[in-house]
Amino acid sequence: MQKNTYRYEQTAALLLVEGYPDLSAGHGNEAIGILSAWRLQLIGTPELEGTRDHLESLMSAVMPYARHQLSGVGLRFGADGGFVSIGPMDSGSGHQLELRSSREGVEPLQIKLDDADLADLVRCLDRLRLDERVKLTWTIPTDQALKRHELVDRIPLQRRLAAPVLGGFALAATVAVALLQPLPPIGEESAKPLTPGLETAQPDAER
Amino acid sequence: MTEVSVQSGARLSRRGVERLDLLLLTIEALDLNGGEAMLWTSHQMGLQAQFPNRVELWKRRCHNPLRRTTRREQLNPVDAESLICLVCAMAERLYPMLHQLLSSREPEQLTQERWMLLKERLGDLIEERMNLRRGAVMNLLDHDSEGPLHRQLINTLALCAGPGGIDRLRATLLDPTP
Repeated sequence: MQKNTYRYEQTAALLLVEGYPDLSAGHGNEAIGILSAWRLQLIGTPELEGTRDHLESLMSAVMPYARHQLSGVGLRFGADGGFVSIGPMDSGSGHQLELRSSREGVEPLQIKLDDADLADLVRCLDRLRLDERVKLTWTIPTDQALKRHELVDRIPLQRRLAAPVLGGFALAATVAVALLQPLPPIGEESAKPLTPGLETAQPDAER
Repeated sequence: MTEVSVQSGARLSRRGVERLDLLLLTIEALDLNGGEAMLWTSHQMGLQAQFPNRVELWKRRCHNPLRRTTRREQLNPVDAESLICLVCAMAERLYPMLHQLLSSREPEQLTQERWMLLKERLGDLIEERMNLRRGAVMNLLDHDSEGPLHRQLINTLALCAGPGGIDRLRATLLDPTP
């Protein structure tokens, strides 16, 4: 069986995938239906490699992270027990990619990416998933508009609370002013004539 | 360049149209010949029907309510999709410049000069095309807030470059207003 190797290169990132066509699924000789290995080289970091599960884990963490970055939401992606997770740096700008080995006793590898590195990585992964020669199905969530509550976090707390707090103060001030207004006593009001002329007026029938 | 099929599209909110036009304006700030390049790229992508000439392209962009000359009706979903594809294709063409601006490995002095040039050009374009009586436009020109805004615009273009970025950009433009 012919082994195929495809490379996806973007400035600081190089992704190489190797695999074989799945002849039982009717793939042509050029296709990759069975992924045997992959390697990712990011400038200034150790070379990464692994199995299909690792690549899928990388893709399912990085792609939604990039989608959320576009909306200005900096959440961490990647399951706690998964191979890969990515999130914004705790201090300063940039992104932290954490890779956990499936071998026991190996410390997680942490890689710092700047915005350009992240864009390079996303473009490499985009090319791989859109490559018609690679007949693999990736379990990544489809890009959708975020929910309102997901976007709320990017607005500073002061700005978020400003409108309701101002509204509350306005309501409280209105109620306070209303309570300070003296009300006429109920008995006095009913005894008092509405107009001076009405007191002496008699119905026509009694005249 | 691959042709794109723009059969259907999404109806963008007012905020989405503003952001889309701002991205196109950023592309013009990066590329001095951006207007012509956009038209040429749209023809390469098979979008002659949507944008046969510069005037038609300009008319679509005038749906941005922040412009000096603005159109009141909503942007057609097919036109919106065409503009999204155009932004992604232009971002792919300009990707080396976007990368230079975002990379921390570039010489710092040079990067700062590039950012200054971009801010100056984008500011000029906003002053030229947008309605300066609108508060939102004045916020765009506000020197205190423009730093993160410019970085966000360039970051957006870098992350939506190429055919793979179309879905991401569309989804972002459909975000509700928080």
